[in-house]
Amino acid sequence: MMTDISNGIDLMATARESLLRDVLPALPADRRYVALMIANAMAIATREADAGDPATKGEATTLERLLASVGAAPDDAALATAERLRTLRRAIKDAIRAGRFDVPPHAEALSAGLLETTRAWVAISNPKALRPVAGPPALHRGS
Amino acid sequence: MSGEVADPTAAAALAQWLRDATRADAVRVTRYARLSGGAIQDNWSLDVEIDGGTLPGAHRYVLRTDAPSTVASSLTRAQEFAVLQVAHAAGVATPAPLLLCTDPRVIGRTFFIMERMGGIAQAHRLTREPALVPDARALVRSLGANLARIHAIRPPRADLDVLPAPAEHPAQAAVAALRVHLDRLEDAYPALEWGLRWCDLHAPREFDVTLVHGDYRTGNYLVDAGRLTGVLDWEFAGWGDPRQDVGWFTARCWRSHGVDLEGGGLASVEPFLEGYASAGGRAVSRDDLTYWQVMAHLRWAVIALQQARRHATGAEHSLELALTGRIVHELEHEALRLMMGVDR
Repeated sequence: MMTDISNGIDLMATARESLLRDVLPALPADRRYVALMIANAMAIATREADAGDPATKGEATTLERLLASVGAAPDDAALATAERLRTLRRAIKDAIRAGRFDVPPHAEALSAGLLETTRAWVAISNPKALRPVAGPPALHRGS
Repeated sequence: MSGEVADPTAAAALAQWLRDATRADAVRVTRYARLSGGAIQDNWSLDVEIDGGTLPGAHRYVLRTDAPSTVASSLTRAQEFAVLQVAHAAGVATPAPLLLCTDPRVIGRTFFIMERMGGIAQAHRLTREPALVPDARALVRSLGANLARIHAIRPPRADLDVLPAPAEHPAQAAVAALRVHLDRLEDAYPALEWGLRWCDLHAPREFDVTLVHGDYRTGNYLVDAGRLTGVLDWEFAGWGDPRQDVGWFTARCWRSHGVDLEGGGLASVEPFLEGYASAGGRAVSRDDLTYWQVMAHLRWAVIALQQARRHATGAEHSLELALTGRIVHELEHEALRLMMGVDR
């Protein structure tokens, strides 16, 4: 939607463009690395401002479903999403260590669920690292 | 040679110590300056002119000392020096270790001095500038052979009794150690937990126990005129399953710009395994590679989390450390892909 004043995401993206276009070329070789790190941090922060909430909610939903499937869902209805996700992550850690996901179909479901949630976070931290998975989700087809 | 002496007091103390240690008539420090790299250790270039004694002449050394902050499970300088001596004597390409000083009165910390070798170590250059590596297959082959020479060093060895005793089951011990580190963090990491569970359930039943380098990868060896000169950074060495080093070297997370080249980002994995076998290394199967590459990603993720935490807790405020935390997601993602057989 068109607005008169830039929002935070646009400010960050525009500042990053200016850093790369106007500042980076003027830097000595041994300082370029720092400018590129700054540009990378700005890009991550921009993507997180845009996609961080959906990734948090998506992971919470996935973990909740996985925990319910092994009868280990915590009672956390009162918590805000970010804190709820921390609780769910601890619960799934405990369930994994207790062997609750060792056997089919739980093992396959956990692998697929975590692949999906980590993918959402990689899309924020480093989307270039994402590569397509050939064909439909191919679970445990062996190496 | 441009003389730069960053810390004249330390340089004078070093000259005095070297004079005593080598029974020289006189020692002049002509250069003493911090080298780049090394989040865990401090490395200094040290040029000296020695008159008489056991090491007469002009020398270019590296002085390696503990940095103020250390990562858990890394060796002390005295342990690293012992490993370097054994490896160098066994014909491993590595800088010659020369002198160890455990007297804190000299420069305030334990340090050792080793030969300064020529060459380039940076992974981002070696994997992107073909002129630096004209024959990548030959280089990768020699890296495989060199690793086999490390793995030919086996316990028990009296000259390595400074190292912790070998674990009964190295893979399971590695999993347990990573869990201990994860339990010290604020948050839980489901993908890393699932990866460690998978490594526990798929732990190899048969294994050798040898010296492992612990950080054998592109970025930790020097290449001069396209050839391997020496392997650096032995602070994670110890007794373990030799396939740990093979998985680490070939893991996607260490290939830099050569992301599809399993041989350290420089070539395919075949010349690496050929070189490894040619110098006595045991056969490594595709399943072994997958298993130890999963372990490599988990281990690097745990180290990255420790580094990120140093920034987050304020122990060391650093953009580089903060960004290191952000690579954890792609390491988790890659470990899962390997476990599910959708990748190599």
